[in-house]
Amino acid sequence: MDEWDLPQWKKEVDSLKYQLAYKREMSSKTIPELMKWIEDSIPEDPFLNPELMKSNPWVERGKCTIL
Amino acid sequence: MSELEQLRQEAEQLRDARKSCGDSTLSQITAAMDPVGRIQMRTRRTLRGHLAKIYAMHWGTDSRLLVSASQDGKLIIWDSYTTNKMGPLVPSLRSTPSPLRSSWVMTYNICPSTCWGGMLPSPAALLDDNQIITSSGDTTCALWDIETGQQTTTFGGHSGDVMSLSLAPDARSFVSGACDASIKLWDVRDSMCRQTFTGHESDINAVCFFPNGNAFTTGSDDATCRLFDLRADQELMMYSHDNIICGITSVAFSKSGRLLLAGYDDFNCNIWDAMKGDRAGVLAGHDNRVSCLGVTDDGMAVATGSWDSFLKIWN
Repeated sequence: MDEWDLPQWKKEVDSLKYQLAYKREMSSKTIPELMKWIEDSIPEDPFLNPELMKSNPWVERGKCTIL
Repeated sequence: MSELEQLRQEAEQLRDARKSCGDSTLSQITAAMDPVGRIQMRTRRTLRGHLAKIYAMHWGTDSRLLVSASQDGKLIIWDSYTTNKMGPLVPSLRSTPSPLRSSWVMTYNICPSTCWGGMLPSPAALLDDNQIITSSGDTTCALWDIETGQQTTTFGGHSGDVMSLSLAPDARSFVSGACDASIKLWDVRDSMCRQTFTGHESDINAVCFFPNGNAFTTGSDDATCRLFDLRADQELMMYSHDNIICGITSVAFSKSGRLLLAGYDDFNCNIWDAMKGDRAGVLAGHDNRVSCLGVTDDGMAVATGSWDSFLKIWN
């Protein structure tokens, strides 16, 4: 950014103005909603729900047979 | 004051104005939450066959096949259950559009419906069957039409090389992480930069969307991972430790987003509790830098690829 010339800085300021217009929400609202989404998804997360990991395709279930 | 100086100041003010929505921190709200506990995983498979550093890997949508790309010039498709190789591929240059030709293999995506394979300069993200997003060495990102080999859109605004891309779950936007220590969110259709996130202190090597598309995580040479909230336009959390002084190469979320997995230059992969910021586990076993990692779509396993030429499957 230090090497930027005038046209590049104008572009940056225009972009920042455009970005400022974005309708942001308060984090006091978005964070609890993020947490709720995670809480609701944990039962489907095999790393956190051991029930799901019982059918682990990378772990052999059957006994070995001696041929 | 020169016009340049005025613009610089105006830019600074515009950036500061965006902090207004940070009225709560993640740490405050999750203070009362139970920690996720110790996460221990074992190596279930080691995939041996590459002859040089592994640079990239990608799971197929069946959560069983995966593809890896190595500095040895080969792409290998693996059956992760049996460790069998579906044949190493040496990409045919005839089948790729000329602007995308690359002298070395970096990234690959599997589209199981057509078993489509392509040689893509990294970082890249497959938008649909005919479009990909890549980063160019000149600090821009580009959207390409695969059939015609033409660049249809350019995304400019970063002031450093773009090192990593992640496509949003709804494929309408993507984030790019660059050597200018910032991340930008782009609208695919109108090519506008909607948001810019700063905070990191060095090159950003990896970005990954949160499963619901409302947040994303980053990994940087500044030895930290961070979580950013797209709706509040704020950084939410930093994942770091005094003992960790090396860069992060790759990041991914578990299926619920509660766990953040990150690959490091110190040969390990750390598992972080994304909500509380504590380290919950380590995947140790590689003999060189972890260069890439990925969690299956069904969330059952994580694969890590390393400069030691091996891939490991863990759960």
